[in-house]
Amino acid sequence: MNDTPNTTEIPQDDTKRAPAIQVGHSPHLSDASFTTRRMMIDVLIALVPVVGMAVYVFQFYAVFQLAVCLTTCLAAEALFTKMRQRPLSLFDFSAAVTGVILGLSLPATAPWYVGVIASVVAIGIGKVIFGGVGMNLFNPAMVGRAFVMIAFAGAMAASGYESLQTGIDAITQATPLNAFKQMGISTPLKDLFLGLTNGSLGETSALACLIGGAYLCIRRTASWEIPAGVIAAVLVMGGLADIFGSSDNWTVIHHLFSGSLLFGAFFIATDPVSSPLTPKGKFIFGAGIGFFIMVLRFFSGYPEGVMFAVLLMNAVTPLINRWTIPRVMGE
Amino acid sequence: MADQPTAFERFTQGVLPENPVYRQLLGLCPTLAVTNSMQGALTMAGAVLFVLLCANVIISLIRDLLKPHLRIVIFTLTIATFVTIVDRFLAAYMYQMSKNLGPYIPLIIVNCIIICRCEVCASKQSPFTAAADAVGQSLGFTLALASIAAVREILGTGMFFGIRVLPEMWPDWVIMVLPPGAFLTFGLLLGAVNWVAARKKTEG
Amino acid sequence: MNASIDTTPEKKKTSHGLFIIQAWLVLLLAAFFGAALAGIQLSLAPKIEANKLNETLDKVPELILGAEAARTFKDSGREMNIDRQYMTTGTKTYSVFKAAADNELLGWVIKAGGQGYADKIELLVGVDKNIAGITGLFILDQKETPGLGNKIMTPEWRRQFINKPTQKPLTVVKTKADAPDQINAITGATISSRAVCDIINQSLNNLRQPLENAATATQQTSDNPQETK
Repeated sequence: MNDTPNTTEIPQDDTKRAPAIQVGHSPHLSDASFTTRRMMIDVLIALVPVVGMAVYVFQFYAVFQLAVCLTTCLAAEALFTKMRQRPLSLFDFSAAVTGVILGLSLPATAPWYVGVIASVVAIGIGKVIFGGVGMNLFNPAMVGRAFVMIAFAGAMAASGYESLQTGIDAITQATPLNAFKQMGISTPLKDLFLGLTNGSLGETSALACLIGGAYLCIRRTASWEIPAGVIAAVLVMGGLADIFGSSDNWTVIHHLFSGSLLFGAFFIATDPVSSPLTPKGKFIFGAGIGFFIMVLRFFSGYPEGVMFAVLLMNAVTPLINRWTIPRVMGE
Repeated sequence: MADQPTAFERFTQGVLPENPVYRQLLGLCPTLAVTNSMQGALTMAGAVLFVLLCANVIISLIRDLLKPHLRIVIFTLTIATFVTIVDRFLAAYMYQMSKNLGPYIPLIIVNCIIICRCEVCASKQSPFTAAADAVGQSLGFTLALASIAAVREILGTGMFFGIRVLPEMWPDWVIMVLPPGAFLTFGLLLGAVNWVAARKKTEG
Repeated sequence: MNASIDTTPEKKKTSHGLFIIQAWLVLLLAAFFGAALAGIQLSLAPKIEANKLNETLDKVPELILGAEAARTFKDSGREMNIDRQYMTTGTKTYSVFKAAADNELLGWVIKAGGQGYADKIELLVGVDKNIAGITGLFILDQKETPGLGNKIMTPEWRRQFINKPTQKPLTVVKTKADAPDQINAITGATISSRAVCDIINQSLNNLRQPLENAATATQQTSDNPQETK
């Protein structure tokens, strides 16, 4: 039903490109197809060290999970855009990015249907229903992951990460955050930093996330304000907990390098569509995510909170935009 | 009153063209809350049928006595009475189901479908037409609840009416029997209904 | 102008009266419906009350004898006398159901509750007449995580409590339970599993003395020589 007005709108937009400043939905680009594509390729390049580390640690399991998510995301994108009678948008690589990020956020041993269903939900409910690239309210990959997290609690909760039959060292251990939450066992910082621990495929290595993230920020594909906000909030809250909390051996630096915090800060939260427009807004957005991550880690039953934190802050993004977009004088 | 629909029209309109859930978007609280199993959905639908039928007939019988500014009070009074009757009956004869449905049976009192039908049909037309209208609307409500509950129960538990229909290896989509599943299923089905309706319109 | 001022209070007066008169239908219906509801409540209330009580009582034979034995017991036509008592230890009051047949004490069912992972868990635990072993477990109410913690309701998990000794507190283990006081945790729901065990341990600990007292009291009054030790 919505098809008719929208398809007529697109050519209008092209002819109306003249006016100087337009404030509308991000991404704010002069030529959408080219730049979206450039950005997405940048993200894929930045993900190379993370994917490399995932394959190194989890071997075949990482390849399998990524392949499942990537192919399902691309197939779902093709199918849904066809259903909406839109031009095929596979070559802007946004679906590919969603697929890779989704795959990297799953446990290595998750069964195949988890990846498939997460991908279909991510593209279908997370993106296409809202109107496709640039229109989605929530980060598609996180929508997909949240769906399977609740649907298949057994495969996705902390216990889903551990398995004794894989023959891969990392998978036999509890994830660092879960080991700490359940048994108070702290993981050495060096392991957390390099990433030879159990966890979601992409989150284990802080180093790989930092390398990829630095590339994204230097290329300005990702706004540095968002990861800065996340890290600042985590440092403040973790620091306060260190000072006033019990003297356990899980410090603020452990918080920073463990779980999917850095992966989320650099690759998930920086999605330009579902984050605010202004630098100030972006910093608030990042800080909000950091705040919720710490609240969820401290007080919720889940060991990790990046996914819910990102989704929560996605929901208030329009509000942040309202607060921080400068008003035209006299308005 | 020559332009009022006949009893037959009232009946058929309620089922599909003016389906209370999919077309009028009324009664969404029970629609979302009790559709995680077919048994629950059908019990709710039965309760609504009883309340709507009784309320419609009574209101229609006394329609000439209604004062415009007092009619809502009388509607509510009548509806609340029959809802309480249903609630007590369920507690006495279907105790487990009454426990499962919890507050949603008493909440039929504020179900907009019923007050809407009292206002639109029963307060203007004969008891027979009002009864036909009540049955039609309830049938539409039942269809809507059953469609949502079927999707949610099958995907969420692999069962239909509590009987296993999907193979044992089916991984239950637990989210479907939880509140988010209700919103997702309802949204997608509503979209599908709108899509079909739009197609029919352009074709016809 | 003058005329209109004069009529206003008069109009108000009549309209006040009118409201009552106009509302005759409301009042009549209210009285009628009220009477109808009172009648229904009177006739159904005992049944509803019985339903509430039976919900727990129905479980008692199975919890004490086991599902199979409970069925044969029922088929044999014997009557189980279930007696509800309240036992207070410290600050806590428990509902305890004493089950007996033909003057012979069969066992006890304790209704206990405590904090689970998400919300309060309410359960029934059956113990034998000597308070030596657990004979059954049933979860009355829980709001644990669907797909993980709510597996405490499954018969497969509850079954492992049967025949556990009550002398030592039950402990939850993640790997294979082999000692008699060990319970296998539900994968991914250690907290819920532990909560159930804690509730059982605590209630047994609290009630052991009162139950033993009550048991000896019963034995003294009963004429059955097998009962006396």
